[in-house]
Amino acid sequence: MGEREGYYRMDALIKDAKKGDHLAFAMLFRENYPFLVKYLMKITMNLDTAEEIAQETMAKCVQKIHLYNGQSKFTTWLVSIATNTYIDQCRKQKREKNWQGQEEVYRKLKWHLESRNEEWNDCLEALGNLSEEVRIPIILKHYYGYSYEEIGNWMNISPGTVKSRVHNGIKLVRRELKLGEETESHLPGQRTTK
Amino acid sequence: MVKKQKVIYLDNEQQNKQDFDAIHKLQEELTKIDEFSIYTPDLQWFEQMVIQEQQKAKKKWRKELSFFMIIAFVILSGMIITIYQLPVLFMLLQIITTIFIAVYTSVRPLKKANHYE
Repeated sequence: MGEREGYYRMDALIKDAKKGDHLAFAMLFRENYPFLVKYLMKITMNLDTAEEIAQETMAKCVQKIHLYNGQSKFTTWLVSIATNTYIDQCRKQKREKNWQGQEEVYRKLKWHLESRNEEWNDCLEALGNLSEEVRIPIILKHYYGYSYEEIGNWMNISPGTVKSRVHNGIKLVRRELKLGEETESHLPGQRTTK
Repeated sequence: MVKKQKVIYLDNEQQNKQDFDAIHKLQEELTKIDEFSIYTPDLQWFEQMVIQEQQKAKKKWRKELSFFMIIAFVILSGMIITIYQLPVLFMLLQIITTIFIAVYTSVRPLKKANHYE
């Protein structure tokens, strides 16, 4: 199936879904479910949480489909709702003080990877150690290629803040991966030269 | 001066390279998650979920609409009663409301202007 054909099919499904056709909704969701769960796995680092938030995201989509204007891809719209839902959940958990340690959260993902004979390496560990406020922009920017403006809109922060979070996050990852440690150790702590 | 600039340029370049390496490594590792085979429920499950959500939304809409109707009814009947039973109170309420709206709308822009000064 060509890309254009797929696009028109998706467009027709969205139109029918807006009219309240539940089969069209179901087809849309089934097609995008693996993409959605995999995105959520990357930002939550936990399969159970990813599936739970994917369900919540789809429920929100049903309620808000009239707000989707078709200017961006449907997957982009899903990513924006999923991101918001996850951030809301994190805030709620922090408020209720039942925040699990991040290590506990990603243990299952670690197990999944290892069961596929894939190595759980320092890189994912470093990403898992970052707070979600930093991890999400890094993934959205450097894995999915969204712009700072888009990410800022979804996370309700300015593009400048997104940029600095991504920059500082990459620095932290670099430090944990010990990339360029030798060169950095020879450098003075602060550069003041203009 | 030229020497200093050169040092910073090289340093920045090195940092950029290290950033690039870290990003590249991250991308490689995240690709592994994309290679996972995710269990996708069947079409019926999705359809059921959508029907449930639509019903929930309808229920919520009905609840909000009835709440709105009740409030509107209470306010309107209150107004009608005061017009016929206590016209003086009705006039007084009208005057107070008009003054309040006039004051509120003129004070708010002033506050904003002070804030930006």
